[in-house]
Amino acid sequence: MSMEDYDHLFKIVLIGNAGVGKTCLVRRFTQGLFPPGQGATIGVDFMIKTVEIRGQKVKLQIWDTAGQERFRSITQSYYRSANALILTYDITCEDSFRCLPEWLREIEQYANNKVITVLVGNKIDLADKREVSRQRAEEFAEAQNMHYLETSAKEADNVEKLFLDLACELIQEAKQNVLVNNDVSVMPGEGRSISYLNCCSFR
Amino acid sequence: MQELVTEVTCLMFVWVNMSESVAKKRSGSSGLSAISRETIENLTELDDLERVYQQLCDEEKQVESELESLVSQQGNIETKMLALQRMGPNLQLIEGDASQLSGMITFTCSLAENVSSKVRQLDLAKNRLYQAIQRADDILDLKFCTDGVQTALWNEDYEQAAAHVHRYLSLDQSVIELSRQGGESSAVDASLALLQEAEQRLKTLVKERLDQAITAGDLAQVERFFKIFPLLGLHDEGLARFAQYLCTQLASKAEENLLLALGGDLGERRAGLMFADTLTLLLEGIARIIETHQPIVETYYGPGRLYTLIRHLQVECDRQAEKIVDKFIQQRDYHNKFQIVQNSMIRSMSTEKIEPRELDPVLLEVTVMNSRAELYLRFLRRRISADFEVGDATAPKSTMQEHQQGLEKLLKHCLLSRNMQELIGYYIPMEEYYMRETVNKAVAMDTYEKGQLTSSMVDDSFYIVKKCISRALSSSSIDCLCAMINHATSVLETDFREVLYNKLRQGFPATTLQDIQRGVSSAVSLMHSSLQQGKFNTLGIESAEDAKASFLVTLNNVEVCSENIITLKKNLENDCAKLFSQGFGSGEQAQAKIDSCLSDLVSTSSKFKDLLQEGLTELNSTAIKPQVKPWISNFLSVSHNIEEEEFNEYEANDPWVQQFIVNLEQLMAEFKAGLSPVIYDTLTGLMTSLISLELEKTVFKCTFSRLGGLQFDKELRSLVAYLTTVTTWTIRDKFARLTQMGTILNLERVTEILDYWGPNSGPLTWRLTPAEVRQVLALRIDFRSEDIKRLRL
Ligand SMILES: Nc1nc2c(ncn2[C@@H]2O[C@H](COP(=O)(O)OP(=O)(O)OP(=O)(O)O)[C@@H](O)[C@H]2O)c(=O)[nH]1
Ligand SMILES: [Mg+2]
Repeated sequence: MSMEDYDHLFKIVLIGNAGVGKTCLVRRFTQGLFPPGQGATIGVDFMIKTVEIRGQKVKLQIWDTAGQERFRSITQSYYRSANALILTYDITCEDSFRCLPEWLREIEQYANNKVITVLVGNKIDLADKREVSRQRAEEFAEAQNMHYLETSAKEADNVEKLFLDLACELIQEAKQNVLVNNDVSVMPGEGRSISYLNCCSFR
Repeated sequence: MQELVTEVTCLMFVWVNMSESVAKKRSGSSGLSAISRETIENLTELDDLERVYQQLCDEEKQVESELESLVSQQGNIETKMLALQRMGPNLQLIEGDASQLSGMITFTCSLAENVSSKVRQLDLAKNRLYQAIQRADDILDLKFCTDGVQTALWNEDYEQAAAHVHRYLSLDQSVIELSRQGGESSAVDASLALLQEAEQRLKTLVKERLDQAITAGDLAQVERFFKIFPLLGLHDEGLARFAQYLCTQLASKAEENLLLALGGDLGERRAGLMFADTLTLLLEGIARIIETHQPIVETYYGPGRLYTLIRHLQVECDRQAEKIVDKFIQQRDYHNKFQIVQNSMIRSMSTEKIEPRELDPVLLEVTVMNSRAELYLRFLRRRISADFEVGDATAPKSTMQEHQQGLEKLLKHCLLSRNMQELIGYYIPMEEYYMRETVNKAVAMDTYEKGQLTSSMVDDSFYIVKKCISRALSSSSIDCLCAMINHATSVLETDFREVLYNKLRQGFPATTLQDIQRGVSSAVSLMHSSLQQGKFNTLGIESAEDAKASFLVTLNNVEVCSENIITLKKNLENDCAKLFSQGFGSGEQAQAKIDSCLSDLVSTSSKFKDLLQEGLTELNSTAIKPQVKPWISNFLSVSHNIEEEEFNEYEANDPWVQQFIVNLEQLMAEFKAGLSPVIYDTLTGLMTSLISLELEKTVFKCTFSRLGGLQFDKELRSLVAYLTTVTTWTIRDKFARLTQMGTILNLERVTEILDYWGPNSGPLTWRLTPAEVRQVLALRIDFRSEDIKRLRL
């Protein structure tokens, strides 16, 4: 389609309460640093990183949204075209976990039905301040049909894995899609669920 | 002298060597030979004795030769000794010289030592002298200041007094301390005490007088005392008080403006924008204040202080802006409107609905407010950055970063920004609602006027989409604009495209042969078009004629949409470039965001193109194929196994192709009139492909005589000539295979094919395989199959 130098282009949108560490996760992944004194995000930030997965160039468009309530309507406009959502909460903040159902309602309402959602519990470096147990989060994720991963943007724990596994899965999905699309031409609005083989495990 | 020393050293070396080797020999000959005397005395055997004797003889010989060589050196040594003796007096001379030199060096050294310590002392003395002078100066200054301050204070010449205090403050404090310990301590102490007291008095006085001036609103006095603060080292306090004065001015003006606006004495025209106007007045007022007072701050407080002043002003700005926003929310029923919109978007069958048109004014006003705030914040950014740049010219990087962070925080997180972000937060869903609802309305009220290619919904919808995006753009908020581009993409891709898609899905009603033959376009009941039954009447289409028109109009609509989206994107790109050139949207981030959102928007264009292609394929297979196929089949009923007589008969009375052309003309007339030229052209392209394919199949089912071949060639020429006139596609290419078949059917003899084949083909590229060539040749009844088989192709 375009002359740009990549095999796949995916949109990943990060959502979740204010202060759970979305911006830090993105900066850790795209710039390899943990920004000191990271201020709250205003509106949305946009970053691009191209990674190589099994010889294929994958361009990841990462939209880092603001968690504060007053930016919600800006954020919502990005759900529809997202290939993947990273729903983030803070393991040291019960409140951010309790808000997850609300976020899931948003996803239900605005995202397309093919979107891949990953639940991320961030700040595991603060183990002694943990308020949400891993088991509880895992059970919740399973019930909601989401992958679950615990990260630390500060210690660079699982951050690469989060984005690379996601990219991997998106490639799988894209390939399945091409196969199915060649089979029958899809009518707009006819949602189809696509089953795919997991190439990367989230656990 | 150097040479002499070398010579002596050399000689001494020789001498030492010599005496060493002589000593060695001597000890050797005094019996310390390899065999001791006792060993010899103990020998009893003759053999042993002989062996030892032999050994001793050898040793003797060796010693003799060594002695000889030593003796031969004697002359040499003597000469050298002589030379040495001659050097004796020289050496004594050297020794004398050396000791003299050493004495001289020692003397010089002590002399230098002496001098340098004197210089050090001198230097110290000089420094002390300077310090003494400085101290004397300072003390004089101190006295001068003390006297000056008194007089100045007495005369209420605060500027002068402050100048003295400033002088005192810039004196080296340690020197003052030293002076107090020195001889004149009592005098200095007294001066100092007086000065310090004067300083305190002045500080209090100046603060008091400034406060009084502020209360009185006396700008001249305010400025007068404001200028004195930095002389007393009270920069921040001065700025704070001055800002307080400015804030009071600002607040009263702002309150007055708001009251005036709420009073409703404005003209009708501005009433709809009264809150935006009031906010504008406020922000412009502050900008003017900054512009007016920046020079005085720069001059008396130095660069880098504007930030502090503005930080104070922003507090009042936030307070006043919030009042305006609160009133806006209250009077415009903003939150309530949002709630209604929100409810009806989540549950589409909400009881309470809001007329999109009702939102127009409030949406406009919000965008105006935000754009004014953005303009104001951009102004602050420019001014503060420039001021910091001068102030931080020599500052360390960390200070610069700190200042930059402070600036960002001030601009992004001030209450004004937060309030605006909140307003925009509500604005976006309302604008989205406005867009969706109005587009839906345009779709529902879609009308089509005869003679027009497209219907009203396309123009209307794009007008709305453009209007909404433009309004979002006019807010100067990049995130707001991006959000609305996203929503527009969604509306076009799902809502709007779906409508067109559904219309196309109803299909194009199949026209019966009779319809065509009558050449009518009358409203025929659809009851007998069994093919498409069940797909009709969903949108109240009453006749086949309407259904057809609807289908064609929809195709045109789809095409125009795809074009419009591209135009929309281009225009938006230009508008954004303008916005960026004015300095909005800081940096690459904003550009990248917009680019990404716009590229999503433009990708919907190709989805419309796909839809068009689908629609045309559908049209081709339902409206053209069923008609064209039987017309081509008619070819079968016209014998091409003919003789001269029939050939002439055909000449006079065309059996097939003329009617076929007439039929095609009639069939396509409807499409030519109803479709845009581009689409019609694509359709004729599909049709010609269909004809060439079908005709080829049909020809393979026929048999030909020599004249039959000629007849077919004629027919084919007529057909190609006609089709060339109706389309811009290159027909010859599509008919290449058929034309080649015509050529083969027209041959005199089987072998004549070789004139055109292989090396003889010239510019002709064969589209038929050798097998197909044989197959075509076999269609000629007069060609013998053995001849065909024998051909070498
Ligand atoms: N200890 C620790 N702190 C973290 C980690 N990730 C983020 N933080 C801190 O959490 C705070 C918020 O981080 P952000 O990345 O700004 O959070 P956010 O989700 O982007 O917040 P919004 O932009 O307001 O939605 C910052 O003070 C970070 O330093 C982590 O992995 N470990
Ligand atoms: Mg953030």
